[in-house]
Amino acid sequence: MILFYWLSLLCFAGGALACFRIKWSYILGCAGSAFALACGIRALAGPVPIFHYSLATGITLSLGIDHLSALFMILAAISWIALSVYSIDYSALYPHRKLTLGINLCLLGMQLILVARDGITLLIGWEIMTVFAFLMMLTAGKFFERAYRFLAFGELSTACLLLGFAALYKITGSLSFDALKSAGAGALVLLSLGFIIKMDIVPFHGWMRGIYGEIPDNCAALLSAPVTLMGVYGMERIMPLVPANVTWNIVLILLGAFSAFWGGLQAVAVGKVRLLPAYSTVENNGMILSAIGFYALARSFPGTNLSYLADFALAASLVIALSHTFAKTLLFLSLGHAKEAYNVQQIEEARGIWSGVGRIPALGIVVSALSFSAFPPLIGYAGEWMILETIFQSYRFPSAAVAFFGALAGVLTALAIGLIGFAMIKLIGYTALGYDHGRKSRHIPNGLMHGVEIALILLLGGCGVGLPLVIFTLGYRGLLTGLLGVPAPLLLASGQPIFGVISPTFIAIIMIVLLLIPIWIFLRGRRRVRAVRSWNGGLRLTENEFFSAPAYSEILEHVLRSLYRTREINTAARSSVEVEDIMIRPTRALTRLVRKIGEGEALILMNGKISAYVTYILFLFVLAFVIGMIVM
Amino acid sequence: MKLLIGVIPPNEERAERLFVLEEGKAVLLKNVDDARVYPNYALLRDRPARINDRPVSGSGVFDFRYGPVTAGIREAGCFHLYTYGEKILRAGIDLSWKARGIEAAMLARTPDAALRLAETVCSNFAFSHSVAFSRAAESALGLVPDLAARKWRILLLEAERVTNHLYQLSRLSAAAAQKVLAAHLSALFEDALRLNACLGGSRYLMGINRLGAWERYPSAADSHTAIEGYILIARKFRQLYEHSLANYNYLDRLHAAGVLTPRQVEDFGLTGPTLRACGLDDQLNSGTEHLVNLPVITHNEGDALARMEIRAEELVNSCQYLADHLTTANTWRQGSGAEQQQPATEGEGCGVAHSPSGAVGYYLNIRDGLIREAAIFTPSYAGMHAVSTALEDLIFTDFPFVFDSFGVHFADAAR
Amino acid sequence: MQWWPFYGLKRQLAESREFASPVPPMRAVPRIFRHSLFIYVIDVGSSNALNFEISALESPQYSIHRYGIYLTDSPRHADILLVLGKPTAAMLPPLLETVSQLPEPFCIATIDDCPEDRERSYPDLPNHICALEGIPSPAQILGMLLDLSTPKRKTR
Repeated sequence: MILFYWLSLLCFAGGALACFRIKWSYILGCAGSAFALACGIRALAGPVPIFHYSLATGITLSLGIDHLSALFMILAAISWIALSVYSIDYSALYPHRKLTLGINLCLLGMQLILVARDGITLLIGWEIMTVFAFLMMLTAGKFFERAYRFLAFGELSTACLLLGFAALYKITGSLSFDALKSAGAGALVLLSLGFIIKMDIVPFHGWMRGIYGEIPDNCAALLSAPVTLMGVYGMERIMPLVPANVTWNIVLILLGAFSAFWGGLQAVAVGKVRLLPAYSTVENNGMILSAIGFYALARSFPGTNLSYLADFALAASLVIALSHTFAKTLLFLSLGHAKEAYNVQQIEEARGIWSGVGRIPALGIVVSALSFSAFPPLIGYAGEWMILETIFQSYRFPSAAVAFFGALAGVLTALAIGLIGFAMIKLIGYTALGYDHGRKSRHIPNGLMHGVEIALILLLGGCGVGLPLVIFTLGYRGLLTGLLGVPAPLLLASGQPIFGVISPTFIAIIMIVLLLIPIWIFLRGRRRVRAVRSWNGGLRLTENEFFSAPAYSEILEHVLRSLYRTREINTAARSSVEVEDIMIRPTRALTRLVRKIGEGEALILMNGKISAYVTYILFLFVLAFVIGMIVM
Repeated sequence: MKLLIGVIPPNEERAERLFVLEEGKAVLLKNVDDARVYPNYALLRDRPARINDRPVSGSGVFDFRYGPVTAGIREAGCFHLYTYGEKILRAGIDLSWKARGIEAAMLARTPDAALRLAETVCSNFAFSHSVAFSRAAESALGLVPDLAARKWRILLLEAERVTNHLYQLSRLSAAAAQKVLAAHLSALFEDALRLNACLGGSRYLMGINRLGAWERYPSAADSHTAIEGYILIARKFRQLYEHSLANYNYLDRLHAAGVLTPRQVEDFGLTGPTLRACGLDDQLNSGTEHLVNLPVITHNEGDALARMEIRAEELVNSCQYLADHLTTANTWRQGSGAEQQQPATEGEGCGVAHSPSGAVGYYLNIRDGLIREAAIFTPSYAGMHAVSTALEDLIFTDFPFVFDSFGVHFADAAR
Repeated sequence: MQWWPFYGLKRQLAESREFASPVPPMRAVPRIFRHSLFIYVIDVGSSNALNFEISALESPQYSIHRYGIYLTDSPRHADILLVLGKPTAAMLPPLLETVSQLPEPFCIATIDDCPEDRERSYPDLPNHICALEGIPSPAQILGMLLDLSTPKRKTR
């Protein structure tokens, strides 16, 4: 198994080196991901140390795989394999070496994060991932400032982690994860912030809006699914270890719930094809954070034994992470496929994928979007049910504050689920199943793309129907039961004594039966089918009479105009509606400030006087030294 | 008050004529310089079949086409509602679907034959059209209708008003989700149609008016039935109306919806309840000199509620008016009438009648006993412009009751 | 104050009498229309009197729902297409489009409000079952519809 691990790193490094032969580079990336998957599956059997090297007292570099690492490695590796295989076809459209190099090294960074057992290794992996993700973005060309915004958030995350581990070292004298159990509140807050920033939790999503529409699709899928998964992994890694902190846990719950709500709200109103799934990432990660917060709260709430709820909450976060990773990868890849075939950017323009591009990408969009809309029996349904059931059980905590904030989080999460359903219907209705307006797409190489899409569709359905198996693999067999004629372990129970139960397996069986009977009746009747145009007041619809995608969501933008800051712009012949994500105002303000400081700095330092520049360098050196002294 | 209700295009023999309503009476003005006085001159000169036909573009803006076949409006007509989702940015109206070319069909026919065509322009206003046509033809041919015919015309215009107002109020209340009220009003509407049949032999009062004379007088028994019927309608309607005014759900929908300012209605040259709802008096009663004067009801708000209130109050008044006059109407019988007169065979003339939705005007030029030129000016044409303006910036929910508050018809507007 | 829903029930506005059509159906009526008839009304250029008569037909006096007769909002839900008036040139394509939307089995009934007008005429309409002329009263229209939905009926 250790061999698999090293082989995967080797393949990623080889892939990076082979970036001048783009296809081979992706094939190596794919091989590395396959080794990672094999490594993860093998590691489910039990924890294995990989590497250990002592640098100084309390500072060791160590790598090892335990159950949690193995789970996340499997999730990430499936997404990586899909991405790499897809990229082989996709490279014909974007033959950029930087992109290939970036992706391979980004995967390498992530592979390092997943097995890191101490702060330094984690930070090395973290930094590799961030820097090379930034490198991938640069292939988009002229959007340097927007890409720098991503880098700035990435570095902010690294800085938080760095300071967090420094604080940990100051208290415990060790950088190992084992030392987290005696970490102080400062370390906890800083470390969680570092991971939360990577999860694109509001307001740390400010970089998305500018760049998501411009970068290549495989890059977008990588940033949205596996990269944010690393943030989730970080949270899942530290939260079971750190000492209980009720206030911070409630903050996490509320932050997560608000992020979910805000992501859903913004997803409804966006017009760019790729920005909608990007905001859905904000929404999903918000729910995951909320579930982790509940887990941490239930794990050690004073005076109670809520271990079942804690397990259920953690399982909820894992199921959502799983459904998000698979469905988001599928959604980005299918949308990217269609978007490239049409060569468009807006939802409004990407209509009729089913007939215009192909049934497989359309089906990919439909299945992944339905999973995000909690459509049974897909895995997203189980995830969203689990988070709601977790929040419903906040009454079990003997604290009015938890009950109140739990209810608040419940309201926000329920709204988020509703809003994201609304947004996903917009996406499905216009892109996948909309009218194609007689347009045909350009031909792009799509054999491997189709393969990846079909595999992910099957995986999403399979994970939903096989939920008991998923829960079992996640390590929560205690949550499975049987009731009312549903045999054990097909039923997932949310509480003990039983609070709520679902069985997507049973739902699937019932749905199939209910589907088969009408199909049988229909086929038996052999009725003559007459195809007619859709009914539109006696005339064929002309091009400017189709209900537009922005119009679909305008009702919400109108009703919630105070949240959206909706502005109607009307002139004699042109009209439009503009909305704004007010939570990215801080990012915008910071960008402006940095730009101003940069310009000022350039005026003072880069004015041709060598003495000023030397003074500046000297000042930076002293500053770094002083900070280092303080931290150590 | 002078309102321009039509422009008659020039031909090789004469200059352009303006059809003006002066103190409620039809006047033909020959002086084209007057055109500057009337803001609706250009509109009426061109009379385009596509009203407010200026597309709106922009991100997400599309043309929500409502028509030409719909269950809601039911008439063959089409709205082009430009929107980006919820708000009506512009409301274009296409009348061409219902255009039957009735003016052209009247040419080279005798006035008597053309009178029947006038009744088919918009049959719910059949009697108004018939009266306006016959007034125009009589004025062209120098024919003086006998007093009984004049009186019956005035009286039965009110019968038509009752029927149409009941229909319109029933539609309006259904559009504003008042289904019980709508059902009761629709029962009264059917009753009113039956009373029309009782008085004139036709539910739409068709074929009872002819040039210079009256075709069919009701029997004493029919008159008696009609009197009781109108009293009953007035009583029931008053009860329903008072009940509806206590319903804030209903009033809220109509209040401040589809507001027009007095300036706007004057600019469109509107007549009828829409004008009177803005506090302006179109001398609706100017032609009633032989009978007791009808009071003209005005309101000042200019919204759908004001238009509804005007219709409701007029309806009760008209019922009362009919009941009062029908008691003595048995004595209105043909005296030395038009039969003895020798009408001219050529001339031009105009005539107007105040239909339930405003002034219907006819211009006729007759040569050798046949119609050489005919122009029909209907309240619905200007009304459609008003609808288009009133719908702008409203949300879709307001569409049905704002449209129904105007009482305009595609058949009337498109001719 | 009058309580109108109860007033309506108490008064029994619905009339029970013979509703007779002036013309019989021109072809056999599908059995599937018995006691349940859904009608889509299309105006193709009528003088509006027919539109008013259809509104009157919806009044409580005729209470068409008691016979299982309903007006639909879409031709796709209709058994009968009731064509009001003679089509103007512009309305011919929409009329044919509406006909193409009718689910089978369907029938078409027409009411020609100006039979003397020779300029306009009906196109070939499939399953043309009834052709009324003039401005029939709601009672006559209801009679025609009852011939399709309840051919064997007693005087009510």
